[in-house]
Amino acid sequence: MQLTDREQDGVVILQPKGKIMGGPDASLLHDKLHEVIEAGNKKVVIDLSKVDWMNSTGLGILISSYTTLRNNDGELKLANVTDKIQSLLTITKLVTVFDSYDSVGDAVDALK
Amino acid sequence: MDKPVISGNTIKIPADLKYLTDVDDFIEGFLRDCGAEESVVADIAISVSELVNNAVAHGNRYAPDQPIIITIDKMNGAVTITVSDQGTGFNPDDIADPLANENLLKEAGRGIFIVRSLMDAVDIDASRQGTTVTITKAL
Repeated sequence: MQLTDREQDGVVILQPKGKIMGGPDASLLHDKLHEVIEAGNKKVVIDLSKVDWMNSTGLGILISSYTTLRNNDGELKLANVTDKIQSLLTITKLVTVFDSYDSVGDAVDALK
Repeated sequence: MDKPVISGNTIKIPADLKYLTDVDDFIEGFLRDCGAEESVVADIAISVSELVNNAVAHGNRYAPDQPIIITIDKMNGAVTITVSDQGTGFNPDDIADPLANENLLKEAGRGIFIVRSLMDAVDIDASRQGTTVTITKAL
């Protein structure tokens, strides 16, 4: 898995690429998200357009980020959720937890 | 053992999560050779990754001298995969319901639930000598 990050209108946008299945790759996303939060950023978008699939480890990282941001008066939005990940969010009922948007722009707008 | 070993339809790995990608390459390669649809490949790959995560962390508890053994076979239009460890086993009935409101924001505890959701059949054979999970999915 690879990971890029950028900022737009005060929102940090993280874009993982590949598969999020656990092990060292998953730690990369987990550590980056918490680094962003600890730096004081309160608005984060995760662009999932280039994630082939994730397992429960990936879902756990999303939940950890969501709760950490929420506990610090921040917000997490998801963008470009692929069909496979949407299916996982649905069967785990996490679709009721995360706000998802069709594009990064829409997600950023929701955080303004 | 200190690295993955592939022999026919079997891959054996040390109990270390850094070898998840080796298992994934092996499984996805087999499935694509069978002509499996990408959605089926992903469902099986996700499920195997869940089982290997469990086997490494909860079965063999990262013990480097205890391998995880994964086999894959195709028969009668379906793929069957087994994941075996040498841990003391677990009772699947003891796993908390990940859909319960009090568990929804827990970071872990969804692996077996996801496997059961994605696969056509799941069998868990747990004993004090180890755990073997067998999953089956039609192609």
